[in-house]
Amino acid sequence: MWTFIVRRLLQSVIVILGVTLISFISLQMGGDPTYLFVSERASEEEIQMIREALGFDKPLHIQYLTYLWNIAHGDFGNSLSYRQPAMGIVLGALPATIELTIFSMVIAITLAIPFGVFAALYRGRALDGSIMTMAMFGQSIPSFWLGIMMILFFGLYLGWFPISGQVPFLMPLFQGDFATAFGNLPSSLYHLVLPAVAVGFYSLSRNSRLVRSSMLEVLGQDYVRTARSKGISERAVVVNHALRNAWLPVVTMIGLEFGFLLGGVVVIETVFSWPGIGRLVFNAINQRDIPVVQASVIVLSVIFIALNLIVDLIYVRIDPRVKL
Amino acid sequence: MTDTTDTLALAPVKGSNLTRELGRAWRSMLAAKWPLLALLILLVVIFVAIFGPAIAPMDPNRQNIMMRLAAPMAEGPNGSVFLMGSDGLGRDVFSRLLYGARVSLLVGVAAIVVGGTLGVSAGLASGYFGGWVDDVLGRLGDIQLAFPFILLAIMFLVVLGPGLFNLILVLGIGQWVTYHRIVRAQTLSLREKEFVEAARAMGDSTFSIIFRTILPNIIAPLTVIMSFNVASVILAEASLSFLGLGVPPEVPTWGSMLAQSRDQLLANKWWLAIFPGLAIVMTVLSFNIMGDWLRDFLDPRLKERG
Amino acid sequence: MSKTRSLFMAATASIALAQTATAQVSDDTLVVGLSADITTFEPAAISSRDNANIVRHIFETLFSIEGDGSVVPDLATNLAISDDGLAYTYTIEEGRTCHDGEALTAEDVAYSFNRAKDPANAFTGNTPGFVFSSVGFVDAVAIDDLNVQINIAAPNPIAFGLLAEVYIHCKDSYEAMTLEQAAASPVGSGSYKLASWTPGSEVVLEKVADPGTFQNIIYRIIPEASTRSAELMAGNVDIITNVAPDQIDAINASGTAEVQAVQGTRRMYVGFNLSEPFAAMPGGDAIQNPDVRRALQYAVDVPTICEQLLNFPCVRATGIVNPPNANQSLTPYPYDPAMAEKLLDEAGWPRLEDGNRFTIRFQAGKGRYLNDENVVLAIAQYLSDVGINIELDVMEWGSVYVPLIRERNVGPLFFLGSGGALWSPLYDMTDLAKVDSGTNYTHWSDPRWFDRWADISAAKTPEEQRVIIDEMLQVFYDDGPWLHMYFQPDFYGVSNRLNWTARPDEKVYLFNATLN
Repeated sequence: MWTFIVRRLLQSVIVILGVTLISFISLQMGGDPTYLFVSERASEEEIQMIREALGFDKPLHIQYLTYLWNIAHGDFGNSLSYRQPAMGIVLGALPATIELTIFSMVIAITLAIPFGVFAALYRGRALDGSIMTMAMFGQSIPSFWLGIMMILFFGLYLGWFPISGQVPFLMPLFQGDFATAFGNLPSSLYHLVLPAVAVGFYSLSRNSRLVRSSMLEVLGQDYVRTARSKGISERAVVVNHALRNAWLPVVTMIGLEFGFLLGGVVVIETVFSWPGIGRLVFNAINQRDIPVVQASVIVLSVIFIALNLIVDLIYVRIDPRVKL
Repeated sequence: MTDTTDTLALAPVKGSNLTRELGRAWRSMLAAKWPLLALLILLVVIFVAIFGPAIAPMDPNRQNIMMRLAAPMAEGPNGSVFLMGSDGLGRDVFSRLLYGARVSLLVGVAAIVVGGTLGVSAGLASGYFGGWVDDVLGRLGDIQLAFPFILLAIMFLVVLGPGLFNLILVLGIGQWVTYHRIVRAQTLSLREKEFVEAARAMGDSTFSIIFRTILPNIIAPLTVIMSFNVASVILAEASLSFLGLGVPPEVPTWGSMLAQSRDQLLANKWWLAIFPGLAIVMTVLSFNIMGDWLRDFLDPRLKERG
Repeated sequence: MSKTRSLFMAATASIALAQTATAQVSDDTLVVGLSADITTFEPAAISSRDNANIVRHIFETLFSIEGDGSVVPDLATNLAISDDGLAYTYTIEEGRTCHDGEALTAEDVAYSFNRAKDPANAFTGNTPGFVFSSVGFVDAVAIDDLNVQINIAAPNPIAFGLLAEVYIHCKDSYEAMTLEQAAASPVGSGSYKLASWTPGSEVVLEKVADPGTFQNIIYRIIPEASTRSAELMAGNVDIITNVAPDQIDAINASGTAEVQAVQGTRRMYVGFNLSEPFAAMPGGDAIQNPDVRRALQYAVDVPTICEQLLNFPCVRATGIVNPPNANQSLTPYPYDPAMAEKLLDEAGWPRLEDGNRFTIRFQAGKGRYLNDENVVLAIAQYLSDVGINIELDVMEWGSVYVPLIRERNVGPLFFLGSGGALWSPLYDMTDLAKVDSGTNYTHWSDPRWFDRWADISAAKTPEEQRVIIDEMLQVFYDDGPWLHMYFQPDFYGVSNRLNWTARPDEKVYLFNATLN
């Protein structure tokens, strides 16, 4: 088990190096970013001066190696547009994104289980039909469109939910300000509903279908039939036997799901003015703010890799058939 | 279910078998109804993609800005009719929808071809050769998965510039890992099968074994993934259009039409969103239903239950 | 069952709580919705309009330019310009204090200028990058507590207005801060100070002195146009900028807010790149001929573009200068495609068998100007209607188009806007101060324009100067390097609870906004 973890961690370092290299190269290929940081009437000398100040005058491999050297010393560089430590900015935007991702993951997974289970139990009936229709549509609607429609309908027309914006919960929590954090919590959750549904709806739909089919498969297995024939109540059969096995494929999904939801966050953060890492990194890519892009990419990869590792370890616990 | 179907995915493909399987597929589809409808819709979409330009009543890029945002059935230039209204530049939504079928489908299918080719080749190599080849490709896949795909796409498109070709390339690259993993797993198990060993014993070249013996036997599970993937690629294209990284503005795709409609949603110009939106939903839905059906059809284990 | 019920109760209770938390904005707070992010509070690094609009509430300037172009004193009470036009001596008002409690003196003013210039700081904002390079800033010296002398390299008729754009900040505090700290903690002498800043989300200002009606001003970053409009209509935001033209009617119909449409000063045009490398490109040779350029002026229906795509009636530009200062004898080119075709025929570019006269590339950025992508598409349509085969190349604004513009390698046709002003025609004309000016993106080199700058400097009276200006503008109108478009309108959505009037120069100052 420990060798497994150590091996995975070593592999992760390689993966993260690769990730930074790829983002570095692709951004540098986009040409000289200096012009984004000089004003309209700057002279050639001024432009050259800024180029040197930003470090874009050096050969690429030197820039990259310098960058790695600095990272090794915990220096992720300063954001070119904010002129502040890039890692600080990224970590400042991270809690908002984690809130959104976790909440949408909760929607995508916890709701998917009852949806899928009930659809399977009532296979072929109206409940199954409506859940599966919803799931089919959920997998066919682009999230930005769903987001804007929800803003206009639930936010503006009905006035049930806030239209946009975020109330921080995790941020004060991380800072140790529990009073503010929990004071904010209700309002924070309230602001999360629409964007989280917009992010998670696609996954909710896919997972509902996944749970349904794995549930159907389990219900057809011998041990469930045996349990039924023993006269165990239907409810107990479902809870103790079928459900336990049916949600295994969902657990495997969690790790990948997180990465997938993070992707959707880029779009939805723009629609809902959510001050998270998705919008930050999108702007940073457009601005060629390489330090911020790198810091975001590193943070996201680390989270993603760690999460997948944890998921693998949990999987071992809940599925005795799997050995490391 | 009989034994013959059980070995469908794993047995060498023979001609007579194929005809019989097609017949069985047709009967299964007839029985399930929904896949039949999905197939019908897809055939219509493909028909429109091919013959759209001949059906389209107007030039999809002809602007009439004096007649912008005309409602469906409103009168267009020279006595024509905007069947589905006109967009923000007075272009005919119906004609753009027809042309859009071609581009959207092209993006979806071409991206799958790019991703599939990369992924299948990598998967075959990984599975068949193993060793360092497998290690390197596996690590590359990890790198890509550690990275939300949309970020990679944004980065590449910002750098390469948006455009049909770049878009297809990026969406394709985004898909290869899935194929790599599946094909690798399949190849690993096939490598040890008797008919592969037999081919090897008969002195077939490695190339021939991989492409003549192994590849045909993993086509079936691949088609399932492909049909789901076309759906997700069409959606990804819409999201990238929303971020301003899709096709050039004069090229109509359903995704870009939907993205362009977003300023008009507040102003109640519903036709700008509803028609391309429906086109996407119907097509994506059909691909998904087909994928479901194909999976059930090819995996007899699932057919037994219930 | 009881458990479920209590859970449900808790949920409703928290929603009720939350609703009070998001209720209408309080009376001492003004909320502004902006489309673009704010990146810095470093006075010497500010370059974007939105950023400058916020910061202007924190920092004062020596003089201040009003919306109508008139100039009023701000920090300074008096300005004396030396006879050679190289030394500007400002007298600042006594008794001003910085937010850090120190008195604001001439030393602080001199420091603000010199600090922005210091190469060690590598600042790239409007002050060093635009003001200093335009006026040829040399240095600033504090003569005594209240007088400061600014030295420039060459006489410049508009230096006075440009120097009024420099933000004055407070020496003691800035000397104690690193550049990183300074970027997030502005110390000025304006009526507001920064209370909090969440990058990508919001900026909160707090009032510390007059003038200013509201105790707090909150700027929220809301990039998506529909979301911005929805927040305004729901009453959560008081002012939004960059209203999408197609959403104006919906906002006006909402009963909670109105859109103020203002004729702005930004000059929108299609440039003709006349440089040698571009002359060698397809179509590049055609536009070398002023007759072809003039013909194309007739081909584009600018008023219709404004009305349909910008939802704003506009008068077509006659040149590079904003209407009040333009050559009044010029009339805008009418939309006359037949005339365009005739002139193109005469210029030696008849329609060929395929119906096209010549092929030319048309480059543009998107997402920067009002409805720019659609405007560009419409222009392309009009040009192709008279037989020009347009190869449209619409690019991402910041990372692809801007570098091309800066390198003056864009074209042969390109779409661009250039910020203008009402207080002097020369401000608008300095885009083309020299053939090799960084802002002469067209590489236009007509001596009938460029040789006249010497005459302007030599002119003794404003009347004499005006004659020369009008002659230059006539040349620009006839044979210039721009296909004249329009002056960009600006749309501000303003809540009905607020009494505030938008200005034409894209400046959003909220000092005298009041509740209705």
